[in-house]
Amino acid sequence: MDRRRFLKASAGAVAGAVLASQLTSGLAQSALEGEDLANLEKGLQATLKRGVRDLTASRDVRLVAPSIAESGANVPVEIEVNLPADQVKAIHCFCDKNANPLLFSTTLAGVLPYYATRVRVAETAPVRAVIETKDGRFLMASQSVRVTVGGCG
Amino acid sequence: MAINILVRFNPARPKAGEEVRIQIVAQHAMEPGTRRDAGGNLIPANYINEVGVVLDGQVIAQVRPGPGTSANPLFAFKMRASKAGQIKVTCKDLNGQTGERTAELVLA
Repeated sequence: MDRRRFLKASAGAVAGAVLASQLTSGLAQSALEGEDLANLEKGLQATLKRGVRDLTASRDVRLVAPSIAESGANVPVEIEVNLPADQVKAIHCFCDKNANPLLFSTTLAGVLPYYATRVRVAETAPVRAVIETKDGRFLMASQSVRVTVGGCG
Repeated sequence: MAINILVRFNPARPKAGEEVRIQIVAQHAMEPGTRRDAGGNLIPANYINEVGVVLDGQVIAQVRPGPGTSANPLFAFKMRASKAGQIKVTCKDLNGQTGERTAELVLA
């Protein structure tokens, strides 16, 4: 294939991919790679006595995690909440496909609504930050982490 | 053997009212209970499941890490440095081993 034809073809492929990602991001959050809501539900019920339905996706929650992790055994995760510190009661974190979906729970009293740690991700799946507010709401941010070497075996 | 904990402030000497990041690292294998040894036997779970951060006698944060937390875990918080004080970090693993470290927060 000559250069010109190659460029044309690849430009088309990129445009198609961008369009597809825009379409899927419009369809709620059903497009996350490796999603496993049944397992997540199990973890949520065990920890919070709540289900996936009680969570609201929120832009106030900022979850920073790599989209591709070198090793699932050590994935840096940073969670920041754009709410006053006294409104945030706890930060929970889940991963859809881990045998035990709960990664950690943090209760904060007097520090800023921020938490950073390093977690294990068993296989490619979304990591979810769930913020419990004082008035009983559950706000969520999700990001899919692609893992080549699992972190739990 | 007690669990070794390291505590660092970033910036090391914050100005009054400045945001300071408290970085805590515990030296622990955080065995998740799903790994096998060379003989194919499951290694029993033993991870830190309780971390407490106390500033001048007042609990400011508590973490309950699960098996999904990495080996030699980092726990980082942010707070506004209003006055100098003493931070005490305690942790406990499933086998009942504990660790403790105090660090002085000094203002610039």
